[in-house]
This record gives sequence, structure tokens and C-alpha cells, in this order.
Amino acid sequence: MRKYKLSTFVLEVCMLLVCATFVIPIYYLVVSTFKTQAQIIKSPLGLPTSLNLDNYIKALATMHFFQNFSNSFIITSVSVVLIVVCGSMVAYAIVRRKNKLMGFLGIYFLIGFLVPVQTTLLPLFLIMKNLHLINTLTGMILLHSSNGSVFAFFLYSGFIRSLPPELEEAAAMDGAGAFRIFWQIVFPLLKPITATIVIFNTMWIWNDFLLTYLFLSSPSKATLIMQVYNGVGQYINDWSIMMPVLVLALLPMVIFYLIMQQYIIGGLTIGAIK
Amino acid sequence: MRSIKKEFPYLLFVLPAFILYTIVTIIPVLTTFVYSFTNFNGMSHNYNFVGLQNYIKVFTTNNVTSSFINSIVYGFVTPIVVTVLAIPLALLLDSKMKTRNIQRAIFFFPAVISSLFLGYIWNFILSPSDFGLINSIRISLGQGKLLLLADPHMAMILLILANVWCVTGWHACIYLANIQMIDKSYYEAAEIDGAGGFAKFRTITLPFLAPAMTVSVMLLLTGSLKAFDLPFALTNGGPGYATTMVTQTIITEGINSDRVGFASSMSFLFLLVISFFALFQVRIMRRREENLS
Repeated sequence: MRKYKLSTFVLEVCMLLVCATFVIPIYYLVVSTFKTQAQIIKSPLGLPTSLNLDNYIKALATMHFFQNFSNSFIITSVSVVLIVVCGSMVAYAIVRRKNKLMGFLGIYFLIGFLVPVQTTLLPLFLIMKNLHLINTLTGMILLHSSNGSVFAFFLYSGFIRSLPPELEEAAAMDGAGAFRIFWQIVFPLLKPITATIVIFNTMWIWNDFLLTYLFLSSPSKATLIMQVYNGVGQYINDWSIMMPVLVLALLPMVIFYLIMQQYIIGGLTIGAIK
Repeated sequence: MRSIKKEFPYLLFVLPAFILYTIVTIIPVLTTFVYSFTNFNGMSHNYNFVGLQNYIKVFTTNNVTSSFINSIVYGFVTPIVVTVLAIPLALLLDSKMKTRNIQRAIFFFPAVISSLFLGYIWNFILSPSDFGLINSIRISLGQGKLLLLADPHMAMILLILANVWCVTGWHACIYLANIQMIDKSYYEAAEIDGAGGFAKFRTITLPFLAPAMTVSVMLLLTGSLKAFDLPFALTNGGPGYATTMVTQTIITEGINSDRVGFASSMSFLFLLVISFFALFQVRIMRRREENLS
């Protein structure tokens, strides 16, 4: 163990200064929401002189916060559940059943890793239109679930490969079926990697703009991200409304981050290096 | 017969994801490939095959070639700058500072936020109008306004810097996770041999970071080649076409202007570009990892 030395102290002070510079964009956004446009121009980085909530009241009146939040929440939570269920089952079947069909399917799913969603957009738009899934939460959920499952399959396969098969074999001897073996024995063991998959997919799906922009543009179905985008079109020149709208829309993810921080940064260890 | 019965439940395991993935990814990719040789406009069913005409048009239409060039510039410069900053940052965040956990949380924070929002936030700062943070500070100091995002070359540089701000902390955490896995005895042995700080970094840390580097550079390369949200929110492709990325061009041509055939050929070329660079990069970097063992 190295001790806390003078050099570490100097480093610490320097790094805190770097951190302070790093957060200026966020600081600027937040302090500006308590000022009038004239005050922002007069002293952009100064602390607000009073806790003026007018901007927030105006901002809330322009958005449908709870409607937007619940749309985002439904899309994200249902998709994440489907991703975990589909991704883990596919990975289990492909890793544990070593036959030609499963070998082929393993490669079939890996192709999805190379295909950027951009290459699929145009036909996907027509397919979704024919299935009447444009501007529906169901359509968004199916798109996110499919894209997320490919990534989940990849992470789950690596993890399942490292599990010893003896437990499953013993359960099979006792006459347990494939479904019971998977859900009662294997799935609980996948907890660490499931946590990583849940966290990352929650962030990605909640923050998605590209797919939402193309497939869910109707204002009544707007997610929080889309609501901000729609607002920008209207209030681009009135930053005193834009900025609090942004802060409000940021809030759910900030809270999610504060609660899950440890797991989010820790999840990278399993997710990225493995 | 018995084997079919035995395998049947496992087929059910695969089925839901298989159907979904086939509809959402595989059929669209194949369709994109077919469309790319036609003059399909997205509506009329009597379209014709036009051979390689769309592909030739990609290389001869100025705003399309420039969007490919923009994406490639953005896709190459970002990984280099981020990697050069993220590795030292990871080393600093690994030291014995008392506030290191808070610092990690701060640097990682932008990764949690939608890139669309980050684009808007940076627009508040870099906007060429009187209200942009930088220009309003300059005005209050009695200096002239800067062009910032209104200057084509500057816009690209600022866009890349904004992106660097967004992702460096996240990638530093990837390296940090890798640094913590390096066996400390290597460093002790090197110290006995009298190696200095930089020598230790060059001969131990850097080579042992190969696994993290493969992953980090792959994510950065593919992520920034595919970029849409951040440029869309920060510059909306402008000024002119100076920061228009391929993704945006595919959408404006294919969905907003109904030139589906033409946009499909762009999409398909884009798939080739991205797969080529990603596979090439991973291949080279995996070799570095193999040299480790």
C-alpha cells in the first residue's frame, strides 16, 4: 500500500480543478435555468441571485412530462425484460447444445453484430409501415428488443461458457426438463452479467434518438427524448424554456445513475474486458 | 425421433429471438442490398433494376461523398484523441486520491446522458449567436464574437472535441478496469531493476492494456462512424454540409426525399466500410494481445 503523500495531494488538487472545468457545461445549463435571459447574458457563469422557478413552471407547461416519462418507461422496461429473456435463452441453447443447427444459429446471430442499424433503416421503415407498427410503443419495443438481444446473446454466451455443466447434468438425471433447468438452475447463476445487460440496455434504450425519431414521431407517443427534440423546433430561440426542459428530461437518468453508479462503472469490468 | 424430442425445447428457446431478429435485421439488410440496384422510391411497386448506377452516383454526388469523408474523419480522429486522453486519465484515477471515486463518477457521467441532449448542451456553449456562452463572455470582455460552429472547419473540430468530452470518461473507466487486473508484481520487479515511471508505463502498463484497447477502440471507431445524435443536435450537419454524417444523409435521401434505391446503395457501402475497418482493427489489435501471453 502506497501512503497518501504530498505528491498525491498536489495531484488531487489538480484533478479536482480538471473536474471543475469538466462539469462547466452541465453547471452552465443548471444555473441558467434559474435566471432570466437578460441575467444569462449579463453574467453567464455567475450563481443565480434568487431561486427563480418561473422557467421551470413555463417549461413544464410546454411538455407533457408524465406522459413522456411513462412512454419512455414502458418502452425501456418491457424491452429490457424481453432482451434478458430472449438473449439468455438463445445463448444457453446455442452454447450448451453443440449440434450443426445451433452452430449455424450462433453465427447467424453474430452477423447482427456487424450490421449497423443504419443499413436496415429503409426496408425496416416499410416493414413497420406494413405491419402498422409505426407510431406504436409495441413497434419500438420490438425493435429495441431485437437489437438488444443480439448484444445480450454475445455477453451471455461468454458467461455461460465459463459455467461448469455438472449442475445441469445432475438436474437432467433427476428428470428436470430444459425449461426448469434453465430458469431454476442456470438463470440465477447469470445474475452478474444480467445486471450489466439490464443497466446498459436501460441507458441505451432510454436515450435512443435515431429509432424513436424515425418510428415514433407522433407527439402523443413521444418519449422524453423526443419531447425535447419537438420542443427545440418550437423554442429554439428561447433558451429560458429550452434549458429547464433539458434539465427536467435529464433528471430520470441522473437519478438512475446516482442509484446504480457503482454497478454502472463496475459493470464495465465484466462487460468490456471479458 | 428421440433426438428431435430432446432438441425441441431448445428450439423453442431460440425461436422468439430468431423470428424477431430475422425480421428486424436480416431481411432488411438483404432488402437493402436488393434495393441498392434499383430506382425504388419507397412507394411505387414498378421499379427497375439500374445496375451499378446508384453506386456510381454515390461517388459523383458532392454532398454524399463529403458525408462519407466527414464520417471517416470523425470516425478516425475521435478514437485517436480519446485513447490518448483516456489512458493517462485512467492511470490518474487509479492513484491513491481520496476523492477518486467522485472523480470517476464525474468523468463517466456524460455516458449516461442522451447524446442528443449533450449536443444541445454544447450548442448553448458554442453557438455563434450572442447567447452562446463563449461569445457572451467575449462580448462582456469587450472582444469580438467568434464564428465557432458557423465556420466549416472549426465546426468539425468543435464537434470532435464535444464528442471527446462525452466519451473519454467512459473509456477511461474501461482502461481503469484493465489496469486493476495487471499483476502488481511486474511493477515491483521493474522497480528492483531500477525502471522509472515512464519506463514502467511503456514496458508494462501499455502492453498489458491491449485487451481494453481492442474493445475501446472498436467501440469508438464503430460508434463514431455511426454517429447521428450528437452532430444532429450540435450542428445539424452544417454549416453547409461541413459536418453532415453518412447516417444523416441516408435518412434525408431515403426517408425524407424518397430516393430509397440511392440511399440503399449508401447504406450498403456504409456497411462495407464499417465492417472493413472494425474487422481490420480488431485483427491487428488481437495480435497485440497474443504477444502478451
